[in-house]
Amino acid sequence: MDALVQQYSRPSHQNTLSSNAAFPDDSELTTTIPPPLSLKFALPPITAPQSWLRSMTDDHANPSCPIKIAHGTTTLAFRFKGGIVVATDSRATAGNWIASQTVKKVIEINSCLLGTMAGGAADCQYWLAYLGMQCRLHELRHKQRISVAAASKILANLVYSYKGMGLSMGTMCAGVTPTEGPALYYIDSDGTRLSGNLFCVGSGQTFAYGVLDAEYKYDMEDDEALELGKRSILAATHRDAYSGGFINLYIVKEKGWEKIGFMDTNPIFWQTKLEKGEFSNVTAKLD
Amino acid sequence: MASLFSASLPSSDPSYSFNQAPTTASEPRQHAFYPYTDNGGSTLGISGADFTIIAGDTRSTSGYNINTRYAPKLFKIGGDGPNNENARIVLSVVGFAADGRALKERLDTVVKMYKYQHGKDISVHACAQRLSHLLYNKRFFPFYVTAILGGVDDEGKGALYSYDPVGSYEREQCRAAGAAASLIMPFLDNQVNLKNQYDPNSGPGLEKKPREAQPLPRETVEQLVKDAFTSAVERHIEVGDGLQTMIITKDGIQETYSPLKKD
Amino acid sequence: MPGFDFSNHNRNLALHAQGVPLPKATSTGTTIVGCLFDGGVVIAADTRATSGPIVADKNCEKLHYIAPQIWCAGAGTAADTEFTTALISSNLELHALSTGRKPRVVTVMTMLKQHLFRYQGHIGAYLVVAGVDPTGSQLFTVHAHGSTDKLPYVTMGSGSLAAMSVFETQWKGELTREEAVKICSDAIQAGIWNDLGSGSNVDVCVITAEKTELLRNYITPNVREQKMRDYKFAKGTTAVLNEKIITKEEISKYVTVQDIGDGEAGVGEKMEVDT
Repeated sequence: MDALVQQYSRPSHQNTLSSNAAFPDDSELTTTIPPPLSLKFALPPITAPQSWLRSMTDDHANPSCPIKIAHGTTTLAFRFKGGIVVATDSRATAGNWIASQTVKKVIEINSCLLGTMAGGAADCQYWLAYLGMQCRLHELRHKQRISVAAASKILANLVYSYKGMGLSMGTMCAGVTPTEGPALYYIDSDGTRLSGNLFCVGSGQTFAYGVLDAEYKYDMEDDEALELGKRSILAATHRDAYSGGFINLYIVKEKGWEKIGFMDTNPIFWQTKLEKGEFSNVTAKLD
Repeated sequence: MASLFSASLPSSDPSYSFNQAPTTASEPRQHAFYPYTDNGGSTLGISGADFTIIAGDTRSTSGYNINTRYAPKLFKIGGDGPNNENARIVLSVVGFAADGRALKERLDTVVKMYKYQHGKDISVHACAQRLSHLLYNKRFFPFYVTAILGGVDDEGKGALYSYDPVGSYEREQCRAAGAAASLIMPFLDNQVNLKNQYDPNSGPGLEKKPREAQPLPRETVEQLVKDAFTSAVERHIEVGDGLQTMIITKDGIQETYSPLKKD
Repeated sequence: MPGFDFSNHNRNLALHAQGVPLPKATSTGTTIVGCLFDGGVVIAADTRATSGPIVADKNCEKLHYIAPQIWCAGAGTAADTEFTTALISSNLELHALSTGRKPRVVTVMTMLKQHLFRYQGHIGAYLVVAGVDPTGSQLFTVHAHGSTDKLPYVTMGSGSLAAMSVFETQWKGELTREEAVKICSDAIQAGIWNDLGSGSNVDVCVITAEKTELLRNYITPNVREQKMRDYKFAKGTTAVLNEKIITKEEISKYVTVQDIGDGEAGVGEKMEVDT
C-alpha cells in the first residue's frame, strides 16, 4: 500500500500550487505522462503487425476475416440550455452477426463525466476505463476534479500514440466542471479532438443527424431535449441495420450526470408511429 | 468527424473494370503468417437465481476431420492445486483451442496468485475484469477465442460474463458462442429472455404485454441446455460427440458429461 | 437454345470483384463407395447434404437412377450430380431405343466423362457408376474433370479416405453378395463417423443380373433424440398488428381449389418429411 501511495503522490516540497490551479504548469504535465503503454501489448512476431492485424480482424475490408471484433454503433450527445443529453443505441455487431442487443455504450467515467462508445467495443471499454483511472489519479494529485478538456486530451493523446496500429474508436466525452460548465468533446482513433455543441457518431450517425439537426435548438427544456435525443436514436435504429436494441439515455446537469433510462426500441417505435403518426413509411394495415 | 467505420453503407472503394475484375478479387490472398486454426465446437452459458450453468460440446475439429471426440472446452479457474479443487469459477473457450488453453493457463495463474497475495478468493466480478484485460493485452495479436466466464457473485446470484476476442465484455443472462452460436442464441433469446413472446391474455394487437423474463429454475435450464445441443448437433457438422456441463453454485462445481451424436 | 446460360457471367464477375460473395451451393460433402462381388455390384452412400458447416438435408438420396440395371452414386455439388445423372439417363434411354439393345455401363461412363470434360470441372459432379449389362458387372468412377477409373472397389467424396481404409483392410477377391453389402455399409459408416461432411444414414443399392434392389436407409444409426421439453406456444403468443381472414371462396378467384377430402395430401403431393 505504501508503495502505491508513493508511486502516485509527490513529495510535499513539490506541492506548491500554481496561481491558477485549473491549469497546472507544463513541466508538471510532462512528468505525469503515463509510461509508453505499447510495451505491455503482445505483438505478432512479424515485420508488419499492422497490416497482419488488419487482414485478421477488419471485417469491412475483408468480410471473411477469421476474428470478428464486436463493433458499437449509433451514439449522440448535444449541449443545450439545461446541460448535455447523451443517448446511444445498444447493439453490438460482429460482421453480420448481432453479438449483443444489451451493450452499455455510455461509460460512467466518474460522477460528472460520461464517455460514449462507437467503433471497437473492446477498445472503447478498455481505454475509457483507463481514462477513468487517469481521471481519478488526477483528482488525487490535484485535490480537484479533472476538466473535461483535460480528460478528453488524455484520451486523444493516448489514441494518437497508437495511430496506425488498428484501434477503432469514436467517442464523446460529456461532463461538467465548475470552471468549464457543461462541456462536450469528440475524440476518435485518428487523433481528432473537437469541442462542440452537437455530435453523432457511428454507422447510424447520418440518420441521427437528420432528426437532430432539424429539431435542435439551444433553448430547450430538459424533457424536450431528452425526447429529441431519444427520437434521434430511434430514427437511427430504424434505418441502420447495425444499430438497434435499447435506447440508453443520460443527461448531464450541474450536479453531475443522471441516468434517464434503458428503453426497448420496439414499443417506442410503435408508440411513435401509432400515437404520433410518424414513420408513415411503415404500414400497419393489411391490403 | 473523419472516417469512423461505415460498414452499413455501400462501399465507396474504386470499382474495378471488368477486365481487372477476376484477377484482383477472386484470387485468394495468401498470408505468410497464419497462426490460427478454427477447432469448431460450441459453448453456452445460462445464469439462474443462485447458480450458473456452462456447457460445451467436446468435439475438436480441423476442416472435415475430427481431432478428438473428447477435448474439454470448460475449465475450472482458481481453487487449490493443479486440479482446481474447491474452485468457484468456470471459464469456457471456443475458437482456436491452443489460444483457449493459453488463456485458461494465464487466468488460472492470475486467480491463484490473487489468493496467495490477498488470502481470499477472487470475486467473479474481479476475475471477469481481469480476463478482459488478459484478452486486451493481446489486442494487436489477438487470442482467436470467444470466452464465457461463469460463477456466483458476492450476493450469491448466478453470474455470467461473455467476451469478444479482444476483451469487450458484458454480464448477461445467457450466451451461446462458437460454431453453432447462430443456431443456439436465437433459441436462448426466445426461451430464456422470452423474446418475441407476449402474454396471450393481455389484450389484442399492440396492447399485448411482452412476457417478462424470470430467472429459470435449475431443472428447466438443464433441459434447455441439453435440447440446445441436441438440436445444434443435428444441423451443425462441427458440433457433437459429447456434452460437458458445469453447474456452479455456492457449494461448488458439479461436472457432468453426457454423450451426443457422433456423426 | 440448349445448354447453359452464361448471360449473367460478366455481371457476376463484377459483383464478385466488389466483394459480393458467391451464393453457396449445397454440396454433398459425402462418402460414396462401390464394390464388385460374384454376380453383381453394390454401391452405397451416406445421406447428409451440407452447405458450408450447416447440414442442409439429413436424409438426402445420393443414389441416382440411370437405367434399371445401372445406378450412380454422386458426390460434389448436389445440383450437378442430380442434373448430370438425369441428363445422361435420358440420353441413354434414347440410345437404348435407337440401338434396340440393353444399355451398357461403359456407355454411361463414356457419356459422363465426355460431358464433364467439356465443362472443364465447372460441373462439380464426382460419380461412382455401377451396373450389370450384357458384358457383366461393371464399376467405374468419374471425376468432375473427366478422368475415370475402373476398379473392383472404389470410394469418393470427402469421406473417401475413411471409407477406403475399410476396403483396404477388409476387401478380398470373390465376395458374396452379403459380404459386399456388409463391407460397403461398413465403409459408409466409417465416413459417417469420421468425416464431418458425411453423416446420418446408409443407402445401399445392389445390382445383379436378375434385378436391382435399392435399400433406402439400410442402416439408420443416427435417429434424432427426443427433446427434453415441450416447445408449443400458447395461442396468441405472437403479437399481431392486424388480422385478415381470406376464405376459400376468395382464393378460388385466383387459383383452382381442389377438395381432396379427409385433409390428406393427394397422391404424389406427399412431402418427404424429416423424422
